[in-house]
Amino acid sequence: MLNYISYRVLQLIPLLIAISMIVFVIIQLPPGDFLTTYIAQLKLAGNAVSESTILNLQAEYGLDKSMYMQYFIWLKNIILHGDLGRSFQWNQPVADVIGPRLALTVVISLISLVFVWAVAIPIGIYSATHQYSVFDYIFTFIGFIGLAVPGFLIALILVYFIFVQTGVSITGLFSPEFVDAPWNAAKIMNMLPRLILPVIVIGMSGTASLIRVTRGMLLDELSKQYVITARAKGVAERKLLFKYPVRMAINPLISTIGWTLPALISGEAIVSIVLNLQTTGPMLLKALMFQDMYLTGSFLLILSVMTVIGTLLSDILLAAVDPRIRFGGVSE
Amino acid sequence: MKSWRRSRNLLLVSALSLAVALTGCESAAISTSPSPSASAKPPEATKAPEGGGQAGAQTIPTDFKQSPFLDGKNLAAVKERLPSDFKITNEIPSSQMKYEIGTYGGVMRTVTSAPNWDADVFVMNNEPLLNTPGILGEEITGNVLKGYKMSDDQKTISFEMRKGLKWSDGKPVTTEDVRFTVEDVLNNPELTPIFPVWLRSGGVAEGAPLKLEVTDEYNFKISFDRPYGGILIRLAIQGWRGYTELVKPAHYLKQFHKKYTPLEKLEPAIKEAGFQPGEWVNLFNDKDITNWELANQKAVGFPVLYPWVMTKYTENMASYERNPYYFKVDTAGNQLPYIDRIQSTLVQDIEMVGLKTIAGEVDFSRESAALVKMPLYKENEKSGYKALLANMHVTPTDIYLNQTFDDPAWQKVVQDVRFRQALNLALNRKEIIDTIYYGFAKPGTIEDPAFDLTKANQLLDDMGLKKGPDGKRLGPDGKVFTIPFEVGAQAPDIVPMTQLVVEMWKQLGLNVTMKTIDQTLYTTRREANQLQASMIWTHTPLWYMGDWGTANWGTLWDKWRTTGGKEGKEPPADVKKLYTLIDNAAAANPTDAKKIIEQVKQEMKDKVYYFIPISEVKQPLIVNAKLRNIPSDSSFAIAANFSGEQFFFGK
Repeated sequence: MLNYISYRVLQLIPLLIAISMIVFVIIQLPPGDFLTTYIAQLKLAGNAVSESTILNLQAEYGLDKSMYMQYFIWLKNIILHGDLGRSFQWNQPVADVIGPRLALTVVISLISLVFVWAVAIPIGIYSATHQYSVFDYIFTFIGFIGLAVPGFLIALILVYFIFVQTGVSITGLFSPEFVDAPWNAAKIMNMLPRLILPVIVIGMSGTASLIRVTRGMLLDELSKQYVITARAKGVAERKLLFKYPVRMAINPLISTIGWTLPALISGEAIVSIVLNLQTTGPMLLKALMFQDMYLTGSFLLILSVMTVIGTLLSDILLAAVDPRIRFGGVSE
Repeated sequence: MKSWRRSRNLLLVSALSLAVALTGCESAAISTSPSPSASAKPPEATKAPEGGGQAGAQTIPTDFKQSPFLDGKNLAAVKERLPSDFKITNEIPSSQMKYEIGTYGGVMRTVTSAPNWDADVFVMNNEPLLNTPGILGEEITGNVLKGYKMSDDQKTISFEMRKGLKWSDGKPVTTEDVRFTVEDVLNNPELTPIFPVWLRSGGVAEGAPLKLEVTDEYNFKISFDRPYGGILIRLAIQGWRGYTELVKPAHYLKQFHKKYTPLEKLEPAIKEAGFQPGEWVNLFNDKDITNWELANQKAVGFPVLYPWVMTKYTENMASYERNPYYFKVDTAGNQLPYIDRIQSTLVQDIEMVGLKTIAGEVDFSRESAALVKMPLYKENEKSGYKALLANMHVTPTDIYLNQTFDDPAWQKVVQDVRFRQALNLALNRKEIIDTIYYGFAKPGTIEDPAFDLTKANQLLDDMGLKKGPDGKRLGPDGKVFTIPFEVGAQAPDIVPMTQLVVEMWKQLGLNVTMKTIDQTLYTTRREANQLQASMIWTHTPLWYMGDWGTANWGTLWDKWRTTGGKEGKEPPADVKKLYTLIDNAAAANPTDAKKIIEQVKQEMKDKVYYFIPISEVKQPLIVNAKLRNIPSDSSFAIAANFSGEQFFFGK
C-alpha cells in the first residue's frame, strides 16, 4: 500500500509541471495582455496615457520579457519563495487577494456539500426502495428540474421574488453594518440566515444528480443475489438495507472526492456573481476577463493541484475500501 | 466589471452651447479666493466666482465653522487649518445650480464593480490645479492653485499658490512640492522615461519640455518655447487631470526617492513591497499615489488635498473620511465638505449595482446608471432615491469606416467623399433616437442630419458602384462591396445601434454585416489597423477633449501624426489640414481654441470623416432623495460628480 501511494505521488511531479506549462500558455493565448486592457480603458475615458506610463508599467510587471522568461520567473518564485506573483488588477500579491476569500468559499462549499449529502442520500434511498411510488415520481420530477435549470437562473428568480415581495435585496452575505466588521459571534449569526439561499441554490443541481445516482446504484444492489439471500433468511428489512446495499450505493461519494476538492475552493462562480458573494469564483472570472495573468494562473494551478490531490485521495480511499481495485502493476 | 469602461459612455451635450458663450478672462489673473487683505475690503464683484450663492454679491467669510465630526479630535482651530487663501467653492455655475448653505454630517454610499476603482468617488474627490465651473471650459479659475497669469505671448504662466494650504497630514503645501515634482520626478529619466506630451510646448511630441522657475515659497512660473494657451484647460480638466500632475507631497515622497534617501536604506522597503533589489523606481511608483489611484487601497495614509481621505480598504468596501485640512469653504464660512464620510461598496457585477440602487442602498450613482434601466429606477423611487436625467459629456456612438484599411478597392471607395455623404444621408436619425434612446436625444448637428435615400443612391450611382444581379452593389474590383462592422459592447447602446445602422445601409444595396467581438480584441485589432468598420463614442461635446476619432477612421494616418512621420502612412492634404487644426486648437488659449474648433466642425461637415448621428443624449443620475445642492438637468451628469463636496443631506 505504501509503495502504491509513493508511486502515485512520484507520478504527480511531471504531471504538475505539465499542468503549469499548459496553464501558463492558456492564459497567454488571448490577444493583448492586462496592460492593453488597462490602457484601452484609460483612453476610452478620455485620459491621455503617456508612453512613459506604459513603459514603466511594462517593466514593473515584467511584461517586456519573453514568454519563456515570464514562465520561468513565475515558476521559480512559486517553488523557491511560495510567491504566486502579483495581481495586476488588484496590485497586490496573489496570495493576499485569494486568501481572504478562500475561507468564505470553503465554508459555503462545505455547508453546501453537507446539505447535498443530507438531502440527496435519504431521498435516493427512499426512491429506490419505493420505486415508482408517488413520492418517487415527485422527487424525480423536482430532481430533474434541479438538474436542468442552471443555478444562476434559480438564484435570479429567487432574488427577484424576495425583492418584489419583501423589498429586501439579497446582495451579499452580511448586512451593511457587518460587512467590514471583524469576525465574531455576532457576525457569524448575521451570516448564517443569509447563507441559506446560496447553499440551496448551489446545492440544487448536486442534490438532483446525487439522488439519481444513489437511486440507480441502490436499485442495482437491491436486485443482487446477496440481498435476496439475506431477505430469504429473514433479515429485518431496515438492517438488510443499511448493512450492505447502501454502503455500496454511496461508493460514488468516495470516487468523486477528486472533483469535490477543487469545487470546494472554486465556488459556483455564476451563482456567486448573481448573489454577490465574496467568494473566489467571481474573482477568477474577473481575472480571466482582465487577463490578470498571475492571478488567473495561480488560481488555475491551485485548482489543478487540488484535482490531482483529490484524485489521489479517491484512489487511496477506494483501494482501502474496495479490495477489488488493483494497484496498477505495483506489487505489494 | 465594466463600470469603468461603460463609465463615461453615453453622455452628450450640445457642442454648440459650449462654443457659444465665450468669456474674456483668460489673460487676466484669476482667483476664486479673497486676496490676503480681502478681509478688510470687499472683493471686486465682477471677479466673484459663480456658484457662491447670491449672484454677484459675494461675501467673504471671516468666521469659520467645522463639522461636529472633527470636534474633540485634538485639531487646531479650523481657521488655522484653512489656508489664509482659502477657496470659496465654485464648482457649478449659478445658472446650473442654486447653491444652498448646507448642514454637516452623514455618510454617502456609492457602489462600484471594479476593485481599487470607483469612478463616482474619483470624480468627487479629484482636485485639479485649476478648475472650470460646470466643466464647461468657458471660464478657468483657481482651484488647488490660487490663480494664474498668462503672459501676452502665451509662453509663460505665473502661478500663485494658496498660503497656508496643508496636506491632509497637516504639512504645508509650497513650491518645494512643485519643484520636487518637476525636477525630481518629471525630469528624472528613470521615473519618467518619456516626458509627457501635454507638458511639452504646444502639447505636441516635438515641443520642448516645460521649464520651471520657482520665484518664492508660494509663486512659480512655467514657460514654453512656443505659445501654449491650451495648457490652462489641460491643467483644469482635460483628461480629468488632478493636482498630482505638478504638486506631489515632497515631504512624504522624499523618503522613497534615491536622491534623498540612499539606496541601501531603501532596500528593506523595496523588498517588503515585493520588488527586486535596486528597483527603487518601482518602489517610488508604488508609493506615489497619483490622482488616478485615489480609490486604490494603497492610498490609505498618503497625504492628499481631497475633500475625503481614504481611511480603510477591505475586499468589500473602501471608507473615506473628511479631510480636516480641506481648503474650500462656503460663503457662510463652513469648511467643506458637508458630508463626513463616504462608503464605497465593491460588488461582483455591474448588475448588482442596479439591484442595490433600486433597493435604496445607494446615495449617489452616475457611473453605472444606464438609460436603458430608467423605467426600473423610476418604478422603485419609493426606496428613497431620485432618478434624474442630466446630460452626457461624450457622444453616444459614432460610426467609423477605416480609410486606411489595407485593401485598395475599399480605400478607393471609402476615401471618396461622395460615398461618405451617401451613407450619411441614409442614416435615419429619428428612428435611432426613438428606438435606442427612447426620444432622449437629438440629431447630431455637426453633419447634415437630412435623411434622403434617393439622393444617397444617386451619389453611389454617380461613383460607379453598380448593382450586381442580386441587387448588391459591386466595388471597383468587381466583387460585392462589403462593410463588415466589428464592435465591442463597451456601452449598452453600441450593439443595438450597429444593428440598426446595418439595416439602414443595406437599403442602399450595400452588403453590410456585423460581428460583436471582445473589447480587448477590439482594441488590439484597431491598433493593428485590422478594423474596417466600427463604433465607439468620442468626447466631442467637450470642446477641449475632442480627438475627433482620428485613430478610428484613419488608423495609419493617425500613427503617422503621433509618431512625427516615423510610422504609419502620410495622409492626404485635406486630412493634414484637419490635423493641423486639431493641433492648433490644442495649443491655443480657450477663446481661440473654440474658434478653431468651429473650423474643425466645418471640415467635418464638408468631408464627413466619420459619422456623429446623435447628440445630447441624457444620462441618468441616481441621488438620495434628501441630497441637496444637486445641479439642474441642464448640466453634465459628470459635473454633478465634481461638486460632491457641496452635497449635503437635507431634512
